[in-house]
Amino acid sequence: MSENSMSSADVSNVSNVSKANIAVNRFGYGARANELELAKSDPKQWIKSQLQAISFTDNLPDSNEILVEFANYQQQKKQQKKQQNKQLTNQMSMENNDASSIPKVSKLFARKALRDMSANSLQQAINSDHSVSWRLLDFFSNHFSVTANGRLMVGLAATLEREAIAPHLLGNFSDMLLAVEQHPAMLVYLNNEKSFGPNSRMAKKHKKGLNENLAREIMELHTLGVDGGYNQQDVVELAKGITGWSVKKPTKDKGAGFVFRAYGHEPGTRTLLGKRYAPQGMNQGKKMLGDIAKHPATAKHICYKLAHHFVEETPSASLLNKMETTWHRTDGNIKQVMFSLFDADESWQPSAQKFKTPREFVISTYRGLAPKKLNSKVLLNVLTSLGQQPFNAGSPAGYSDEVDDWLGPNALMARIDWATMISGSRGRINSEKIMKLSLGSSVSELTYNAVLRAESRQMSLTLLLMSPEFQRR
Amino acid sequence: MSHVNNNTEAAILSRRKFIKMAGAGLAVLSFPMSSTFAFGADKQKANPKIVWLLLRGALDSMHTIIPSFDPQYKTLRPKLSASFKAPLLPLQQGFFLHPSLKNMHTWYQEKSLLPIVAVSSGYQKRSHFDGQDFLESGKGQIDHDSGWLSRAIDVKNKRALAISRATPISLRGSKNSTKQVSTWYPSKFDSAEHEVYSELAQLYQHDEALKENLENGLEVLGLVGAKNAKTKKRQGKFIDLSKACAKFMVGEQGVDCAMLELGGWDTHNNQSFRLNRQLSELDQGLAALKSGLGDEWQNTVIIIGTEFGRTAKENGTGGTDHGTGSALFLAGGAVNGGKVQGKWPGLKADELFEQRDLMPTTNSFGWIGNILSQHWQFTEQELRQVFPQVKAYNEALVKA
Repeated sequence: MSENSMSSADVSNVSNVSKANIAVNRFGYGARANELELAKSDPKQWIKSQLQAISFTDNLPDSNEILVEFANYQQQKKQQKKQQNKQLTNQMSMENNDASSIPKVSKLFARKALRDMSANSLQQAINSDHSVSWRLLDFFSNHFSVTANGRLMVGLAATLEREAIAPHLLGNFSDMLLAVEQHPAMLVYLNNEKSFGPNSRMAKKHKKGLNENLAREIMELHTLGVDGGYNQQDVVELAKGITGWSVKKPTKDKGAGFVFRAYGHEPGTRTLLGKRYAPQGMNQGKKMLGDIAKHPATAKHICYKLAHHFVEETPSASLLNKMETTWHRTDGNIKQVMFSLFDADESWQPSAQKFKTPREFVISTYRGLAPKKLNSKVLLNVLTSLGQQPFNAGSPAGYSDEVDDWLGPNALMARIDWATMISGSRGRINSEKIMKLSLGSSVSELTYNAVLRAESRQMSLTLLLMSPEFQRR
Repeated sequence: MSHVNNNTEAAILSRRKFIKMAGAGLAVLSFPMSSTFAFGADKQKANPKIVWLLLRGALDSMHTIIPSFDPQYKTLRPKLSASFKAPLLPLQQGFFLHPSLKNMHTWYQEKSLLPIVAVSSGYQKRSHFDGQDFLESGKGQIDHDSGWLSRAIDVKNKRALAISRATPISLRGSKNSTKQVSTWYPSKFDSAEHEVYSELAQLYQHDEALKENLENGLEVLGLVGAKNAKTKKRQGKFIDLSKACAKFMVGEQGVDCAMLELGGWDTHNNQSFRLNRQLSELDQGLAALKSGLGDEWQNTVIIIGTEFGRTAKENGTGGTDHGTGSALFLAGGAVNGGKVQGKWPGLKADELFEQRDLMPTTNSFGWIGNILSQHWQFTEQELRQVFPQVKAYNEALVKA
């Protein structure tokens, strides 16, 4: 980098050229086409105007279709088993037990839905002219991480960001929170769809009981944070408050999607974080969530995660202060909180603070290279190999946002191997042009010379993609 | 890359030298000799090795080392206790091992497996992530930059390898991290040409972190050879990681200790089915590790731990929720096994931690500390650098 690192937040003498670089690479997914040029005249305004709503207008299945399909799949499997058993017990009777009442279900439906949706988000992020919005979507998708494990979750996982997160991306956090916790993907993933109050009618009749999983992760991961001041009793109380928040069974209930099963809800008053909640059916849990969303610990937790993701490993107290103040003033409005992040001088330190995650690395690479055609399967395989397969974090905490978890010897070697491979497949590419497009003039002499004097086109592009300037942001 | 156009002869020479070092040679140069320490003459072992296996997600110890003798057990777990598909494998004192752990049970009978019940790292809340960080830090508090295993290898100048994409906390913070701690994980891509590495080494000269990780990555590449087996299977299966781990540990260049991780233990629902599968995967992976270690098995202690236990009572969805007291396993030819260690606290309501979890009666680090002192000859003072909070227990855990 041409500038040396600065210790204070005084960025008044940072040129617009390097500010444009920061806007595009630190906050967005890397430059595409002439974005660096566009950002130059007013980098702050430019990045603000990049925050735009995201909507999905494709024909990919929604969660209701996936739930119905899953129910059909299970019925079909049952039928097949029955038939097999019949044939086994009575080899002679070859009567054709017609299963045509159930729509034929493809074994691959859920896998395909997951692949298509995951790739769709990636492709849109690569081609978007407001990529910071896609970064923000991915941030919250990872914040409310769900893992595609088991046939039902394979189908459902990718619908959460499309149906519960994207619609509230620039709205209030409390709305996003409620939409997420009532979404079938989250309810199934963290086992709340079968969690019933120990004193509910359901529990008495069917011996079903409480499962604390969702309630604990709501407080630990989604809102207050692990040090947010709640205890085990609060976990149980919230778990009871959201008992009965479940998912319709298309074979038994009408339709699909979220349902409140009143007969599974724990009766009585709940006390959460010292506050009492009268029994009000589903609204009891809703009110609890609303209050948790407003809790100062939640503002602290989410603002920290945002600053930690977009700006630096250890965000400064002054930056966090600005964001939290905005959070409280706007009732947790995500767009306004992001604006306060963009407005803060602390966010514009010239030296790169973060190491790109594999997802950021891959997306920014393709934004720079702008291939005419990008095979979705290839794209997903790359992320899998680099350790960040979409919807496969394997933990409700999502993928790590820490440098130490991505910058390891083996992780780096895998990046080098991929950079080499992709550079080898690019033919007559002009690395110098791509360097200019992606990084502008914010390149060290060392990198500039290495890219220009490399012994081959492939080597040149590999070095650019693996340069500190491209790896860090 | 057949043409080497604009390079002077000197550059080519230095590059070749670099490549040579990056290949087989570098490992020899940079790893300090570890076998020349003067221990108590007769106590010295050829090559005492340690494997640290962290089960991420909180293994339900009561479904693994089953306390059938405890009258409360079946009351607390009416469904789970009746869910086993095969006869339980008998241990001492009325404990039984889960039927999926066939190999481990054989080792128990050969006195090479030591289950320890009712342990805890001292972490008292129920967050997976904090619980794991706490167990990996080993300091009685969370330190993301310093793990107990890395402090241990620093004291004795040992070399360690994490079978992981990046360095886990257990192995973070070694004073000499690039020399002594490596990571390895299977990669799908063909390896890049060596020229790329030497060019990048140049490019990273002002970026310490990138430089260190590149050098470290190249060292490991030299150890396993550029391309690992052409497997088309899922990358990162535990049995494959275990096999690779064994490879890194044997031979003259073998590392002194390794860390393995296995996730998937967070069984809030459908626990019976999931643990059948999970425990088989664990058992088979460990068997692969044993066979890969060959003779080194006799010098090895495998420490198997998890961040915390699960509720004593089964929950409403055929599973268990986050708890406290858990179990530790010590396995390996060097282990003085064949019995069940630890003090059973009982399962009556007032014997449970916060009326819900198995009460821990001993500290995991006390047992691990014991292994360090008996297997790696740590003095009390040296041990304090690793576990400042906990004293090692005084049991004979390692074969004399």
